Amino acid sequence: MPDEILKIQNVSKIYSTDGIEVHALRSLSLSIEEGEFTAIAGPSGSGKTTLLNIISGLDTPTSGQALLAGKPISTMKGSELSDFRRDHIGFIFQAYNLIPVLTVKENIEYIMLLQGIQEKERYSRVASILKKVGLDGMENRQPKQLSGGQQQRVAVARAMVSNPSIILADEPTANLDSNTGASLLDIMRDLNKSVGMTFVFSTHDTMIMERASRLVLLRDGEIVTDERRQ
Amino acid sequence: MILLKLAWRNVIRNTRRTVLSGLAIGITLACLIFIDGIYIGMIGSMIRTATDSLLGQGQIHADGFRDTIEVEKTIINVNNIIKSLGSEELLSGYTERTVSVAMLSSAAGVNSVMLYGIAPTTEKRMSMVDEAIQEGDYLSSETAGQILIGSKTAEILEVGTGDRLVLTVAQADTGQLSQDMFRVTGIFHMGMREVDSGMAFININQSRKLLSLGNATHEIALKFNSIDDAGDRSLTFWDKYSQSGNEALGWRDIVPQLDGVIELSDMSTVITSSLVFCIVAVIIIHTLFMSLYERMFEFGVLRAIGTRPASMALVIFFEAASLSLISIIFGLGLGLLVMKIFSVYGINYMGIEFASVTITEFIYPVMTLRQFTFFPALIFIFALVAAIYPAVFAARLTPAKAMQRSM
Repeated sequence: MPDEILKIQNVSKIYSTDGIEVHALRSLSLSIEEGEFTAIAGPSGSGKTTLLNIISGLDTPTSGQALLAGKPISTMKGSELSDFRRDHIGFIFQAYNLIPVLTVKENIEYIMLLQGIQEKERYSRVASILKKVGLDGMENRQPKQLSGGQQQRVAVARAMVSNPSIILADEPTANLDSNTGASLLDIMRDLNKSVGMTFVFSTHDTMIMERASRLVLLRDGEIVTDERRQ
Repeated sequence: MILLKLAWRNVIRNTRRTVLSGLAIGITLACLIFIDGIYIGMIGSMIRTATDSLLGQGQIHADGFRDTIEVEKTIINVNNIIKSLGSEELLSGYTERTVSVAMLSSAAGVNSVMLYGIAPTTEKRMSMVDEAIQEGDYLSSETAGQILIGSKTAEILEVGTGDRLVLTVAQADTGQLSQDMFRVTGIFHMGMREVDSGMAFININQSRKLLSLGNATHEIALKFNSIDDAGDRSLTFWDKYSQSGNEALGWRDIVPQLDGVIELSDMSTVITSSLVFCIVAVIIIHTLFMSLYERMFEFGVLRAIGTRPASMALVIFFEAASLSLISIIFGLGLGLLVMKIFSVYGINYMGIEFASVTITEFIYPVMTLRQFTFFPALIFIFALVAAIYPAVFAARLTPAKAMQRSM
């Protein structure tokens, strides 16, 4: 029986702007198990981004709590939260993932440097992950020398290399053409199957929804459907 | 260190902005170096003008003589003092003088002067009286009856070299008037009004006779091997010769307005430095914030993937340090170039009177170690201080707000 890696308990998020309240999430509860390839889908304003922010600790819920790897991420602060994100969460954003002044190798090993991993181990992991994402030989290139798809693959490599508990991807294929997007998704699906890495996507992309082993549909801050597939 | 690498590359990735900011800070540093050098040069020139022209770098008198110029107030135990001065290692020379109020009269008019009785040979090594002679000759040690007068005095009395004047003084012992006739042997022009119209020089032996002083002396002018010693009030030399009713004073006390000029220049340097550092702070803060706002999403990503708030602040500090180092290198180079150029050509302030001292030579900036070490160090430190505000801002960035474009 796979372990529960993420647990959202009755999480609500209310934004107040000029006296107007916006209920982004309404008492939402969700559990994600280790190794799941989950897509969180829904129309704009459904709360997908807010949910991902709360799961990753980038935002805090108005009520309820989020537990990641058994730890209450929604109540962590400062360096404790930064260190927890560093060690347990891999991020893949829609665009501008990479630090432009660092090379491919430096972007990938950045988190390992923060973790204090030794040089030999870092080099070994970087070489291995670059091979897995099909970018071996490109370690010294700058991000501006890569295509959009290649940059996203480096983002996947960076997210994976520190062996996080979960990888959160926010619209990772939004800026890619369908072929490149499909190729990227196949890499992530392979990593999910081979290594058992847990992926959670926030997405509009039907390609992701089709590949997902679990599809959670949000509307107006609530879960409408939660479908597990084989 | 990855954060240092990140900071350095961030600084050099926007070349235009870095060059412009570096130029701005560098130019202010070069200005500070130059202004400080010019002030030092100007002060040095004024001190030289004041001390080398006539005053000397130090003087010994009887207590109270400078206030009253009483003929009776001669230096106590002058022979012992002269003997002692002869073995002083600090000194490069000294000369004895008598000083008294006198009246010069010609057929055309009268003029009151301060009459100096000088020993021509030793006086030549101490002051610039001989160099200031425009017409005629300097005093001779052997020939009596010679007088040097200033150019303004010559105009007032309508005399030239070779003409006779009557000199009237009050004697020391009786207070009675004593007169003698002198021939104008030379006319000097020092470019200082009070000297050219208010001073005259005769042989000290003749002045002692005229004033009935015997072998007494009113003033011993001193010249030091180092002018810094002459300006050092804490030197034991002054106490040694300020005993038994005498006072020994350095130029700072003889010409206190000059000391005031030095204080003014020090204050000006402080004010100029403060303005420079304010400019540096504004440039640094502006540059860092511009850079920060341009990279807001990138900062959000760094925070999201696990960079601690303190590390974000450290990146900003490293960027400030990198920018200030580039600026300092440029500023030192420009400062050195400007100093070299003006050390050859100088600035012409000749004839300008400041604090009763007329500038008589071109002003050349003086290079000191402080300009090329202390000032750049201060700019570096100030840049780091200025970086505190953007660093705290960067540390407090919430990843979600910074990445609002994506999430």
